[in-house]
Amino acid sequence: MSEDAAGTGLHTEDMTLNVGPQHPSTHGVLRFVVKTDGEVINEAIPDVGYLHRSIEKIGEKCTWHGYVPYTDRADYLAAMFANQGFCMAAERLGDVEVPPRGEYCRVIACELNRVASHLIAVGTFGQDIGAITPFLHALRERESINDLMEEICGARLTYNYLRIGGVGYDIKPETCARITAFLDHFEPIVDEYNRLLSYNKIFIERLANVAVISKEDALQYNLVGPNLRASGVQWDIRRDIPYSVYPELDFEVPVGRGERGTLGDSYDRYYVRIRELMESCKILRQCLDKMPDGPAVAKVARKFKPPAGETYVRIEAPRGDMGYYVVSDGSEYPYRVRIRTGSFTAMSIIDKISPGIMVADLIALIASLDVDAPEIDR
Amino acid sequence: MNGIIEYCQNVRDTVRSIFEGMTITFSHFVRKPSTVQYPDRIAQQVQETLPLRYRGILEVDMDICTGCLACERVCPINCIAIGIEMNAETKQRDFTLFDIDICKCMYCGLCMEACPTGSIRHTQEFEGACNNPAGLVRHFITEKVPLYKPKKGGETEPRMIQKVDIGKTYMDEIAEPEN
Amino acid sequence: MDFTVQDLIATLLPGAVPAALGYALAAVAVAFAVLSFFVAPLAGVTSWLERRVWARMQSRVGPNRVGPQGILQWLADGVKNIQKEDIIPASADRKLFLLAPYVVFSGFLGAFVVIPFGSWLIPADLNIGILYLLAITSLVVVGILMAGWSSNNKWSLLGGMRSAAQIVSYEIPAGVAVLTVIFLSGTLSMQGIIKAQGWAPWDWFIFYNPFTLVAFFLFFTAALAEGNRTPFDIPEAESELVAGYVTEYSGMRFLFFFFAEWGNLYVIGAIAATLFLGGWQIPATIFGVTMAEHPLLKGVLEFAVFFVKAYFWAFVAMWVRGTLPRVRVDQLMAMCWKYMVPMSFICLFGTIVLLVIWPEGNTALTMATLAVSCLIVLYFMWRVVYQIMHSRPTLYLKPYV
Repeated sequence: MSEDAAGTGLHTEDMTLNVGPQHPSTHGVLRFVVKTDGEVINEAIPDVGYLHRSIEKIGEKCTWHGYVPYTDRADYLAAMFANQGFCMAAERLGDVEVPPRGEYCRVIACELNRVASHLIAVGTFGQDIGAITPFLHALRERESINDLMEEICGARLTYNYLRIGGVGYDIKPETCARITAFLDHFEPIVDEYNRLLSYNKIFIERLANVAVISKEDALQYNLVGPNLRASGVQWDIRRDIPYSVYPELDFEVPVGRGERGTLGDSYDRYYVRIRELMESCKILRQCLDKMPDGPAVAKVARKFKPPAGETYVRIEAPRGDMGYYVVSDGSEYPYRVRIRTGSFTAMSIIDKISPGIMVADLIALIASLDVDAPEIDR
Repeated sequence: MNGIIEYCQNVRDTVRSIFEGMTITFSHFVRKPSTVQYPDRIAQQVQETLPLRYRGILEVDMDICTGCLACERVCPINCIAIGIEMNAETKQRDFTLFDIDICKCMYCGLCMEACPTGSIRHTQEFEGACNNPAGLVRHFITEKVPLYKPKKGGETEPRMIQKVDIGKTYMDEIAEPEN
Repeated sequence: MDFTVQDLIATLLPGAVPAALGYALAAVAVAFAVLSFFVAPLAGVTSWLERRVWARMQSRVGPNRVGPQGILQWLADGVKNIQKEDIIPASADRKLFLLAPYVVFSGFLGAFVVIPFGSWLIPADLNIGILYLLAITSLVVVGILMAGWSSNNKWSLLGGMRSAAQIVSYEIPAGVAVLTVIFLSGTLSMQGIIKAQGWAPWDWFIFYNPFTLVAFFLFFTAALAEGNRTPFDIPEAESELVAGYVTEYSGMRFLFFFFAEWGNLYVIGAIAATLFLGGWQIPATIFGVTMAEHPLLKGVLEFAVFFVKAYFWAFVAMWVRGTLPRVRVDQLMAMCWKYMVPMSFICLFGTIVLLVIWPEGNTALTMATLAVSCLIVLYFMWRVVYQIMHSRPTLYLKPYV
């Protein structure tokens, strides 16, 4: 029993709502136990674990090379990054140098994947707010990226493109030309998408000043990636703990500015992703220009046995800081693999932010954090 | 006063952004739909439009398979089963079994990279639906066949030259020569 | 040639039959005819058209297999829905649950009683037509609330509550906008309102003065809200409330709700056409043919004109649905009470003031309003061209796929 907000002295009973595991906007199998007073949420407790596939345990049973395709499944919307994290960890353990062309191929593939993943994020965002047309426009563009990926590595979703020591297959010049053509087509589409959805007054009203995450909260709850940057924290692994060829590239790190409301509101989290789309396009163009010749993969033994040791690798995935903690005991199999993902920590802040917002805002909050169920549970 | 200005701005922004959005959706009436009407109303079979690197259902050319078991070993999911036994009559080793369970296969492509002759390949075929999961196990051996042994100095038989070439082209396309 | 259905019954009726029975039979026959030969196919075709329109906006194709271009898709959907099991939740309030779809449906179907399809083609020209219309369409909210409550499902309950709040609130701007027209026409009868206008755009109430132009859009927005259409589809908000008040319904009962929703699109358009767009009005002579001499041709033309006007606004509703996101429930209320209600009253008082100054209307003001509207349409066209030039898509000018 709780007293109503208006202070009329009337006692109302809390209603317990089960949002999920099957609900149109939980983006996979998620569950929230929501206690509401009418439409206003008093408490929303995330319940995770419905999509646990023990990917970390499988790592102990697979060879080093054989585990790469499994990492795809850690986050199927951004499989390339999961590949990259594991490959970098293995390379660091085994002291493998990736040839420059291999690094460029990796960055091209990763940034294309980031565009695809952010397109899903902003598209489903529109859908959760009720606009289905922008969602399909975003998916249409993502489909072109899938076609490009198919040409680069032969798969559309679970790429398994990266290998320990480089990439599986070189990117051909004609594919590079197609990527440039796609970028030329894509950049005006982002503008159009902005005019259709981002600058729509109803959309702005739905997101501005909703579910504000302050800088302090974001840091305390360990938010990462776009969610952290939307709260005004300048932090991007690509720039601050550089890896691969990112130091050679010129790109900006979009940070939330609170342009339509408060710093760290849902609109900032949305718009940071839109701006990252454009930054990724910039990175892609630079990579295509600078791509050196040479082999795309280093010579790595088929029976890869890194010396005993442990390492922790951080990369900037679309959902933020993705960490791989890998332990080797010098055998053909990794001794331990642990994956740290951005969505998992993003889930924990929902409990903190949700009291006082409405049911519709909870949907906006989940969408704005861009959580991805397989990545939460792994 | 500020309240009135804000009120008018809200009305103006709402009308303007809705107007703008409606021009965009209206302009889509003259744009080409990007979807295709799979499977019957398409100009070309989807399989034909896929790139050579596409990782579809696996096939094995038994004529150029050396039986090195590299694919079986590298497969992270153990979906390839190969059986080899010594033939007492010919004193040669024969294949008794070469099954790929495409139900289990995760199309990672590690096997075809490991293959020294390019005999195990991903095809452009992706339509594998059938009523019984048992039908998804592809048997490449119907009767015992001997293992392929590459001839020193190249193949002479035209049929075999062609097959070896197909394998080589495939390997050049997808695998790295250095590796 | 100015006769009504009542006159028709009087002529056809044999002397021996009591007049009351004749009227009752006629009423049933008219209801049956309207439902089976007009409303059902209309709602069905609207559902198909909406899907096609939506699909094209989203770079898709849409249903195009059943019948030419898929126009019979609604029949296939209907047959499929009838075959489905009619599930009634064990904990539902059974009687209310069963009744709710029919209440919604009758609320929508009742509107057709006063919709004037032509100068004599109207089931009943009530002298309080528009008042009746506002009243009968409010019956929908009763049905939705019943469905939401009786399903005994929290999503349904939230949907039903949202719907009640929404429809009751939006009655006010809609009613005030209608009142603007009633002041101009001086009658509540639907035929009377149409007869007060003319066939030409400058004779329509929408361009009568700038206030009526705004009142029209206020009315249309409020009507969308009453019809639970995007951006006001919060009672069934798919991404929030699963399916809102229809969550527990299946099969034919589910279909009835959507039947009403799609049929309602046409009703919205028809009311808009009647009140603001001159209804079925056509010129007295077209290409030298005097319409009064050809009653059949006149009837067909009137019907066609009315249908096109009404259906255009149904199309606009589909188009809006394909464009806009959904508002939140408190914003919906704020929009109604803070923006639409004051604006509709401004329109009403503005019209009254202008009516006091120029009781017979002011041609210059009307023409200016018309010119501004034309400029807006031209600007719209230019923006469409700009959008195409900006994103350089592959053009495909055929209307079919």
